[in-house]
Amino acid sequence: MTAHSLSSVDPVTAGSTGGIAAPRPAAPPARRNRRGSRAERLAPLVLLAPAVLIIVGLRLWPLVLGINFSFTGDGDRDGMMVGFDNYLTLLGDPLFRTALRNVGLLVLLLPVAVAIPGLLATFIFLKVPGHRVYRGVYFFPAVLSPVIVGAIFNLLLAFDGPLNALLGGLGIGPVDWLGDPDVAIFAVVGVHVWATFGMALVVFLAGFATLDSSLLDAAKVDGASLPQTIWHVIVPSLSRTIQFVFVTTMIGMLTSMFGLVYVMTSGGPEGSTYLPEYYVWIQQGQMNQPALASAASTALFLIMLVVGLAQIGILRRAGKED
Amino acid sequence: MKQRTPWTATLVAALALTAAGCGSASGPGNSSGGSSDKLVVWDWKSGDAKAAGYVQKAKADFAKKHPGVNVEFVAQPFDQYYTLLGAAIQSGKGPDVILFNGGGQIRDRADALAPLDSYVADDKQRLAGWDAFTKDGKIFAEPVTLQGHPIYYNKDLYQKAGLNPDAPARTWDDFVKNCGAVTQKTGAKCFSLGNKEGIGIQFWLSALGSAVLTPQEYDDWIAGKRNWSSPDVKKIFELWKQAGDSGLNTDGANSTAMFNDAFAAFNSGKAANIIGLMSDVGHWKDFAEFLTPEKVGVMQAPLVNPAAKPSLAYDGGIGYAVAKWTKDPKVASDLVRSLTSTDALKAFYLDGGAIASDTTIDTAEGGPAVKTIVSAVKTGKPALHVALSSKTIDLMGRLSQQLLSGSITVDEVLQQLAASDKTG
Repeated sequence: MTAHSLSSVDPVTAGSTGGIAAPRPAAPPARRNRRGSRAERLAPLVLLAPAVLIIVGLRLWPLVLGINFSFTGDGDRDGMMVGFDNYLTLLGDPLFRTALRNVGLLVLLLPVAVAIPGLLATFIFLKVPGHRVYRGVYFFPAVLSPVIVGAIFNLLLAFDGPLNALLGGLGIGPVDWLGDPDVAIFAVVGVHVWATFGMALVVFLAGFATLDSSLLDAAKVDGASLPQTIWHVIVPSLSRTIQFVFVTTMIGMLTSMFGLVYVMTSGGPEGSTYLPEYYVWIQQGQMNQPALASAASTALFLIMLVVGLAQIGILRRAGKED
Repeated sequence: MKQRTPWTATLVAALALTAAGCGSASGPGNSSGGSSDKLVVWDWKSGDAKAAGYVQKAKADFAKKHPGVNVEFVAQPFDQYYTLLGAAIQSGKGPDVILFNGGGQIRDRADALAPLDSYVADDKQRLAGWDAFTKDGKIFAEPVTLQGHPIYYNKDLYQKAGLNPDAPARTWDDFVKNCGAVTQKTGAKCFSLGNKEGIGIQFWLSALGSAVLTPQEYDDWIAGKRNWSSPDVKKIFELWKQAGDSGLNTDGANSTAMFNDAFAAFNSGKAANIIGLMSDVGHWKDFAEFLTPEKVGVMQAPLVNPAAKPSLAYDGGIGYAVAKWTKDPKVASDLVRSLTSTDALKAFYLDGGAIASDTTIDTAEGGPAVKTIVSAVKTGKPALHVALSSKTIDLMGRLSQQLLSGSITVDEVLQQLAASDKTG
């Protein structure tokens, strides 16, 4: 909306600066319509003002304050400009590096997180027996809050919990799902995917609704197997949907895992499940280092900006292909 | 796409403006808090039904001194408490009276508080636990409860194992031997341990420290002269690792939350001992749902080093402080004094089971655990972990998890802790 509104301001500003370098009163040729043109000139500004003010006042200005704050010190140096000290501290902090590494891991796990709802949606679309039940069941976790989901899985994944009891029954030794630093992050991401894939599933189903059924019929007539149908017919027709799900899943993973991390592992064990968000919270609330937290959130903002722009670029290119 | 240009330009301009640096966002912090006829108190206790009687008594006491002043209690969720408080401090306005945990939490924020020395002199004798609220010789809060780390044990399990429940082990070797007997007879582990948040090691350090360090080493530690390369300090962390390696702890300690999973395990008899707390949660009264007070004992830390002198580790637990931006510090500190009056604290002890800072309260009906704790308060010393900065404590939590999983050696742990302790 803003992009649109700002662009429509352009002609006005161009009009006032583009003419002869005259002071405030309008240039002679426009004299006849002066009153009318001034009103015309002001109207868009007045109409846009609420939206622009809200965005500048409630979005950009706090953002600028926050970024500015990240260049000040904590504790004894409160309020002093310290340049890039906070950012150097971040780079030197193994915890923050773990958090960034985990972000990288999330990006790597993204295809899995997209493939699961995609595959399940395909099965539902192909009307496997009981597909109506599955549609409801798959969506169900999406309505639970992360705290509830985390609490449920805390019980299931506890060292003496049911999952380990089941594994024990199969003769496999217990796994400390949330206490082993090599396993915990995968457990948390797995639970996150479980809790959120319902939303992506719905998007996929919507995409399937636009699928040309004659193509599928043609494939069936040609004797294509199920994997062949999926790979050569369904995936190409759904490329835009898939890309959309990629973008939204990525954003979900980067911005809304705090609740799960907080409830399931508290960033542990050994700090192995730290994510930038959690780091920001710890530094601000527990370590009383708001400026450092501010620097970390600026870093997170930049990561999101880069990832977001890259994904918009991909989406746009996909749009052109259509 | 052309449309996005102004956006990008705005952003770049904003970033450039910022990088140039134009003052702090935190501001000078000079604006005042509540008005003079109203005091706002922030805490995480007053919403709790168990604290209702306490708040009522304190309010009544204050109303006698200042009938015209309104007091408003704002109970914040504890999870978010210091985050919210941090925001209030940054903006330089907020509550007049603030509840704090003793130790690092209040010391880190002492800049925002008014020293209370001149107002609380009359209470110095009556209350215990001042050290946790003192920084650079100045008192910043009056203690409400005492918080410490007694070693609780389940007398039932000791009895079932054929041990005398009223004569717990005095030395570490005997203690481990008793644990072996308990495990063999009842299947219960020695310690119920929850170290998911890294809290287990804090309790361990403070509960067993006095049985390992010599009195001199102990006092030096509290005074800030911490020798991380001393063999006795090393011994504490070695014992932690040994306890983990030799299976003394309940399973999956690194994924078990201290609150309340570890306490639940102790309650349900899955372990014979637990290093618990004295106030708030995880104390004798908390166990009472399953373990009646006479079944819970408190033992002195079993002696590891013959040169050590075991004592109860405790500090001021929570206490009320006065913000420096309050209009009239005298009135605010009178409220703090009401909040620590004997009547109010007695209600807190009776309803919540907390060990109150007031040493004159009669605790005779509390059962053997309370009796042992209260008698040990006189000879007790500040807890070792409370003397560390929150940064070092956080690091220690993570390192302790690594010790349990075996991915680090005790020497490396001590090295990292020493480095963190030096930089504060």
